[in-house]
Amino acid sequence: MSAARTPRPSRGLALLTLAAALACASPPPPVWKRPPPPVPDAPVVPEGALHRSELPNGVRVLVLEDHRLPRVSIGVTLRRGSASESLSEAGVALFMAELMEHGAGRRDALALANAVDQLGADLSVGSGWDSTTAGISGLSRDLDALLGILGDVVLRPRFERSEAKRVRDEALAGIEQSKDDPATLASWNAAAAIYPGHRYGLPREGTRASVARLDADAARKLHRRFFVPNDAILWASGDLDPAAFAARAQEIFGAWSAGPVAELGPPPPDPTPGERLIVVVDRPDLQQVRIILCHEGIARSNPQRVGASLMSDLLGGGGFSSRLMESLRAESGLTYSVGSGFSMRRWKGPFSVSTFTRVAEVRRVLDLALSVIERFRVEPPGEAELVPARTLAIGEFSLGLETSNAVTAGLVDLDVYGLPEDSLDTYRSRVRATTPAEMAELAQQLLHPERMAIVLVGPAEKLVPQLDGLGPVEVLKP
Amino acid sequence: MILCRPRRSALGCGFAVALLLGRAQAAQGAPDLLDPATRAVETHLGNGLVVLTLEDHATPVVSFQMWVQVGSRDETRFTGLAHLFEHMMFKGSENVLPEEHARLIEALGGRVNAFTTRDFTVYHTDVSREGLPAVIGLEAERLAHLSITQSTLDSEREVVLEERRMRTDDQPEGRAFEALFAIAFVAHPYRWPVIGWRSDIAAATVEACREFFGHYYVPNNVVVAIAGDFDTAQALAAMRASFGPIPPAEEIPRNPTLEPEQRGERRADVEFDLRSPLLVAAWHAPASGHPDAEPLDVLSEILSDGRSSRLYRRLVWKEQTALAAEGAYWEMKDAGLFTAYASVRPGAKIERVEQSLFAEIDRMAREPVSAAELEKAKRQLEVGLVNGLATSHALAARIAYDVVTFGRIRPLEERLAAIRAVDAEAVRRVARSYLGPSQRSVVRVVPPAAGAKSK
Repeated sequence: MSAARTPRPSRGLALLTLAAALACASPPPPVWKRPPPPVPDAPVVPEGALHRSELPNGVRVLVLEDHRLPRVSIGVTLRRGSASESLSEAGVALFMAELMEHGAGRRDALALANAVDQLGADLSVGSGWDSTTAGISGLSRDLDALLGILGDVVLRPRFERSEAKRVRDEALAGIEQSKDDPATLASWNAAAAIYPGHRYGLPREGTRASVARLDADAARKLHRRFFVPNDAILWASGDLDPAAFAARAQEIFGAWSAGPVAELGPPPPDPTPGERLIVVVDRPDLQQVRIILCHEGIARSNPQRVGASLMSDLLGGGGFSSRLMESLRAESGLTYSVGSGFSMRRWKGPFSVSTFTRVAEVRRVLDLALSVIERFRVEPPGEAELVPARTLAIGEFSLGLETSNAVTAGLVDLDVYGLPEDSLDTYRSRVRATTPAEMAELAQQLLHPERMAIVLVGPAEKLVPQLDGLGPVEVLKP
Repeated sequence: MILCRPRRSALGCGFAVALLLGRAQAAQGAPDLLDPATRAVETHLGNGLVVLTLEDHATPVVSFQMWVQVGSRDETRFTGLAHLFEHMMFKGSENVLPEEHARLIEALGGRVNAFTTRDFTVYHTDVSREGLPAVIGLEAERLAHLSITQSTLDSEREVVLEERRMRTDDQPEGRAFEALFAIAFVAHPYRWPVIGWRSDIAAATVEACREFFGHYYVPNNVVVAIAGDFDTAQALAAMRASFGPIPPAEEIPRNPTLEPEQRGERRADVEFDLRSPLLVAAWHAPASGHPDAEPLDVLSEILSDGRSSRLYRRLVWKEQTALAAEGAYWEMKDAGLFTAYASVRPGAKIERVEQSLFAEIDRMAREPVSAAELEKAKRQLEVGLVNGLATSHALAARIAYDVVTFGRIRPLEERLAAIRAVDAEAVRRVARSYLGPSQRSVVRVVPPAAGAKSK
């Protein structure tokens, strides 16, 4: 496809070129200095491998056949998650999800664990901001048993009181333990700084106060709200027969009766924060300061999401080639890593730049990071900077879809957000269509260094004196 | 950067696709797999460099990995030099500017990184087939013509010191394992951390880096694995043209020190401002390639894999004193360790966690495991093998690891047979041989007040 665009030299021209090369007699450039060869777009889904259908009760079924390995992954995804919780019940979706793994159908917690482990299988129920998924994977010859367990977990979780207490106590301990991790502390406090009063401002795990209130009834109630067939995607990938799977799915999930789909939570304030604010989370023991700069980003449904991601890659990406990496690591050795990214959700999740440095260099890193972001607005990337970034984005995309599990997850994600089914197929051409003008426009629209929240986790006594003139500072305990 | 290699991920490092499945037979018994690694071709260049090629066009990716047989165990003057040097490999060579290597790979749409262990340093790149010639050229360029300058070393050592702060100094787990290796080994170079002690990172010199490069970054100390979508003949021709002229070394120096027998338990406390204390322990276990590896793997599955495992059931579920508890066999070239790990719930007593953890390990030596637990553990290991077959990257890593560790690619069948042969008596025997209290080193990471009390 790309070859068709390449002009083919005539034989005469080729001979001339050869003669010129011989005349100069300079050594050929090293292989890595030659222009990278065009990479044809391999299809994301092999021809005929994807099967979509729907059960009479509204369950959408998505099967990706892949017989290369004797294994299968199957699951049910609902299009509601932690963002649908009230503030006072923050954490209930993850609590419910964990409790679903503690007994279902005829099996109590230990019996369910044994049934899963005896198959060498992996059962996992979890919630994101916008979806909740129960999934199980194992060997394809155990498909029937795996489906039976999945059906129990999705339709007949036991929600026993004794297990609910266990799970709640573990969740409370987990919240405390997370505060030992400087990176987690930084991201929790960054969210709190820019989304006060909104669900996005609390950790998905909830808080001590909200989790302490959770019990078996709360989990059961949420399960009733979330798990309705008319909002469910049943997905499967791997070594299975789509027709047989659909038939078995009807037996297991066919009697599941429809109900109202749970409401979405309200959108967060926008823009946020209105002005620069600085939060220092005091950890006097730390030698290194965790740093997050953030404000609102964009929603997953934003039509400019591909361009916005590319813009973020150019600014801070995750690879070695971004402007922030160049400035903070390669040129100055101030950090080991710096990244930037949009957390795209149903509503506008945060855009953040994260890094870390030794305590004494915090001001230098903040000044540099803010000036790199500001400069990105004033001198946005031109075509020369954009070319390798596009190739990297396309390459990362292809590398990320090597397994059928990854492709299935990508397709389910599109369904969760109601995005076009062909979004994976069109992704690469949308990346190629990005322009310097678009980057310049997005930088103006989406980067606001002057009103970023700045969150630092480290020894407040040594940090606060470095922050003069940057904005109002609030010091918090972890 | 990883510290050493847990067995389960060594298994999990499977391979790419084009796995032939006997579907009729698959209906019963264990999965019947034809190991794609048995199709790998081993080629020796004249200078001693080993190239492993495993072509598979069912995947759109090719993984190129250069495994240099040098790790922190080979350091003499400055600890952390092997890892610091790994960073220097990205800081430019005769025809490539500092940082340009990674940028050129990314401009090809590739993913590039590297890691160092106690035994190896690995440079890995995943890319589409079109990018492979450039990757081969770039990799040979830095092996043949690396530049090491004072200014690039000085800026990169700051990066590595930040990496150390992130992974070790400010991380309870990093602190725990650093202290654990430091007491479990008193003589062998495994006792120091891969990332090195701070003062050594700060002091390492350009001369030391150049000497290290000359000793270890030689073709007869390198194994290259290429797996996935590429053409074997073309790749080998490119390898010969670019790597072929690099001269080998006559001798590759190694540290001679062996670890003496441990006689009696060793303990250490690390004080750290934290809410969830940590308990880690290690017992000396065989080096890689020992036939007791499979019984130890089965034992660690029974202890740790899944919600029905013994440690989860007792410490996390029943007693509710831990947030996580597990044991694992780690194999390394010169010695192995069996490690146990528990994170203590805020408010729970670390002494009680320790008591239960060690009681479960002692029980492995006392009572035979049940037939059901044995079958479950074997099944979990087998499924882990299958799951590890999914990517070109994992495939390249597995064949390279096998060759640098065992001197050959170990067929999956051999590994499966060894797992299936493990019986309850073998599990009890390895528990008795290796997991006794006098062979144990124990580290607790506790808040300063609790640490003071226990002294």
